[in-house]
Amino acid sequence: MEYSEVVGIRRSIRFFDPDRPVEREKVQKILEAMRLGSCAMNAHWLRAVVVFRDEMSPESFEKVKLPVAGVIMELAPVHIYCYGDLSVVAKDHGARPKQLIDVGALGPSHGWTYRFIDEFVWPQVLEPLYKNSTYPAAMAFDNGGCATQGLLMAYNLGLGACWTAFNTEGAKEVLGIPDDWLPHYLLNVGYPLESRAAGGQRPRPPFEELYFEGRADNPFRRDRAVVEELEREKMIQAPAPLPGRREEMRQLARKLGLPE
Amino acid sequence: MLVKPIRSHDSVAAWDAGLRRQWGGDPLGEDPAKLEVLDAFCRLMDRDPDELVAFCFLRKRATGERFASAKRREELLLKLKEFETAAGRGVEARRRRSQVVSFLSHNGVLIY
Repeated sequence: MEYSEVVGIRRSIRFFDPDRPVEREKVQKILEAMRLGSCAMNAHWLRAVVVFRDEMSPESFEKVKLPVAGVIMELAPVHIYCYGDLSVVAKDHGARPKQLIDVGALGPSHGWTYRFIDEFVWPQVLEPLYKNSTYPAAMAFDNGGCATQGLLMAYNLGLGACWTAFNTEGAKEVLGIPDDWLPHYLLNVGYPLESRAAGGQRPRPPFEELYFEGRADNPFRRDRAVVEELEREKMIQAPAPLPGRREEMRQLARKLGLPE
Repeated sequence: MLVKPIRSHDSVAAWDAGLRRQWGGDPLGEDPAKLEVLDAFCRLMDRDPDELVAFCFLRKRATGERFASAKRREELLLKLKEFETAAGRGVEARRRRSQVVSFLSHNGVLIY
């Protein structure tokens, strides 16, 4: 599938086929996509713990689920618990950006040298960063980008997915999470029982309310021709609700014995 | 024990309105078994539908603000499990439980 279509077909899938397992190699491909995400200073804070639902005991499942996410977690055969490892920068002491110099990604043309990292980047940027209260937010931003690559890979592989919260205290105990891992979200993965369109693209705020040019009070002009091009590429698709969506939801609820 | 008809309760009216808004038509009228299941669960809990919804919430002493009680949710979950198990296993038994969960959801009670 082309990238534009993968972006376009992504929906939060909430009805999974509970009896159709996800192939282990597809799970690995999702993780491989996460690993290749962009990350400041090559830090790579993202950690993910994969749980194959049927390998988790009912007692453990009760500990990790939340009421608001329980149905999705019960239906999805694979759970990928995402965390940020807050210890990375402290342990690393600038070694990871140096790797980027070694492999030719960074160089003196942009001011990057070993000495610059040792004498400026580490003591004046990285060390203060990880002691700063904004550090988790910076880490979470990068981790969200990396995790989204995995999310899109799931759709590229014919799967569906949905981010949910989870019981972080329970998961810490059940999954053996280290103290310095900050919980993010849980990616539920499985084969959708919903149609591929899943009722259509979800509502979004108007483009001009979100994006600006030059100044924060000057909306970025949206070119209709570009929109039409993206429609042809299936990135922008028919908006929800598509005809018959409610009936589809009702039939799925009945099939799975869920509340209406 | 219900002392008045089940449909006369505000919480049942809220369920009815929620189902109509979500699915259209007259879901409670078209499927009277939904009310029978709720009635059976109310008997198990020895509460009428309005009392069942009220049971899920407590109020803060200081402000009077209503909040969902985690302890009572646990209690209700156990009763739902008992209710489901009494109907056997599989999707049919689960549907029975889901009718009650639907009633609770349309009354703002999140339970799973």
